[in-house]
Amino acid sequence: MSRFLPLSVGIFVLSLWEALVRVLDVPKFILPPPSMIADALISNFPQLLDALWETFKLTVLAFAASFVGGLALAVLFVRSRLIERSFLPYALVLQVTPIVAIAPQIVIWVGVDHVERAVFILATIVAFFPILSNASLGLRSVDPGLMDLFKLYRASGVQRLWLLQLPSALPALLAGARISAGLALIGAVVAEFVAGSGEAVGLAWRISESASRLQTPLTFAALLLLSLTGLALNALVTMIEKRLLRHWHPAHGEAS
Amino acid sequence: MLKLTGVGKRYPDGLAALEGLDLTIRDGSFTSIVGPSGCGKSTLLRLIAGLAAPTEGAITGLDEGSIGLVFQDATLMPWADVFANVYLPFRLAGVSRVAASPRIEEALSLVGLLDFRGAYPRALSGGMRMRVAIARAIATKPRLLLMDEPFAALDEITRNKLNDDLLRLWREGDFTTIFITHSVFESVYLSTDIAVMTARPGRIFARYEIAGPTARDSEFRASAVYLDGCRAVSRDLERVMSMGAP
Repeated sequence: MSRFLPLSVGIFVLSLWEALVRVLDVPKFILPPPSMIADALISNFPQLLDALWETFKLTVLAFAASFVGGLALAVLFVRSRLIERSFLPYALVLQVTPIVAIAPQIVIWVGVDHVERAVFILATIVAFFPILSNASLGLRSVDPGLMDLFKLYRASGVQRLWLLQLPSALPALLAGARISAGLALIGAVVAEFVAGSGEAVGLAWRISESASRLQTPLTFAALLLLSLTGLALNALVTMIEKRLLRHWHPAHGEAS
Repeated sequence: MLKLTGVGKRYPDGLAALEGLDLTIRDGSFTSIVGPSGCGKSTLLRLIAGLAAPTEGAITGLDEGSIGLVFQDATLMPWADVFANVYLPFRLAGVSRVAASPRIEEALSLVGLLDFRGAYPRALSGGMRMRVAIARAIATKPRLLLMDEPFAALDEITRNKLNDDLLRLWREGDFTTIFITHSVFESVYLSTDIAVMTARPGRIFARYEIAGPTARDSEFRASAVYLDGCRAVSRDLERVMSMGAP
């Protein structure tokens, strides 16, 4: 029942949309009816898919880079307060500076001939911080009793990291990864918009190009693909999270 | 024989948890340490385990690297199944799973959990988790088992059952047990030796040896030895509590 509820809402809204646009005779470049968007999606499918692949590829690469980099930096932070104190303020500066504001400069530095490099760097910057902060938090949230046991049994630093701190950090790390995956996509799209030259071939470029030519149905079709990609990414990370944490606590258990 | 001489522990903020504590623990004894809450019992156990260093005095006669430890909380790794949790001390010592397997299985069957080797902690009851913690502590066959109010969070029936199982393990095993509790009845029922601590800063206020068989049952709870023991320890506890914290 609860599964059909959102579906019925969707069908209802789409039907209403279609009907209103037709009855009120809204120009298609202002708001095209859903049927026209579907048409645009089908007739431009190969090009849209190419563009989607480009954006998706960079998103996944940026997410992977921010995951590895954020986790590695968090491990360094947890091992050394000195390193944390020296570098955390700069990580924060990157985090609070709006990506749109840095984007043009990054594009000028690395993106003139290789837009995808600028897109990759910008998406990585955006996706980096949730991993760093969640991993730091997780690595510190070790059960003090287990810490004592590792000390009692004379665990080495590597054993403590590998067998205790990393597994303890897993729930927080995966929560960070979920946020980060979404942000990587946003970062990639923003970067493509800013880059905005003929070099850019991603989905965001299709959106801005079609919007400027008033091909509104195509804009909507590209937007739809983008949303679906975001949802798919989120679902993928959530699935991995559930799989890895299924033994931990009821919120992730198969019993819940 | 484990000997603590003039042991003191003062924290950097100046607070003294223990002061001038003298205590001798006989090899093979089941020694309970009873005291008002906040008297430094847990600190004492941490010093014996080597998790912290005393700021005064000395602890001698420790067979280092041969200590098992059980906390009030089972402190299991939630991401690892029962077998992997008991395997932890072996793994940290570099022993392979295969080589450690017989010891792990022995420990698990001693606590009655061999069938649950593949279960994860969250699927177990509080009492079963505590059994896993005990199995992990005894699997390496330590000479000294340290227990910090291990059954305090459990219900009475589970607690009594675990008390009897623990006594059996200790009788059949070959190790000294130091058992921290704030329950007078539990301490008298389990122990061969009892040390009553004062309020903070903790010292030893009184010592008792509980005579009678080491195999104990409900009949023991009705015996004069048990009742006299309970009376004496309760009286001491009332006294140290009325002395209050300085």
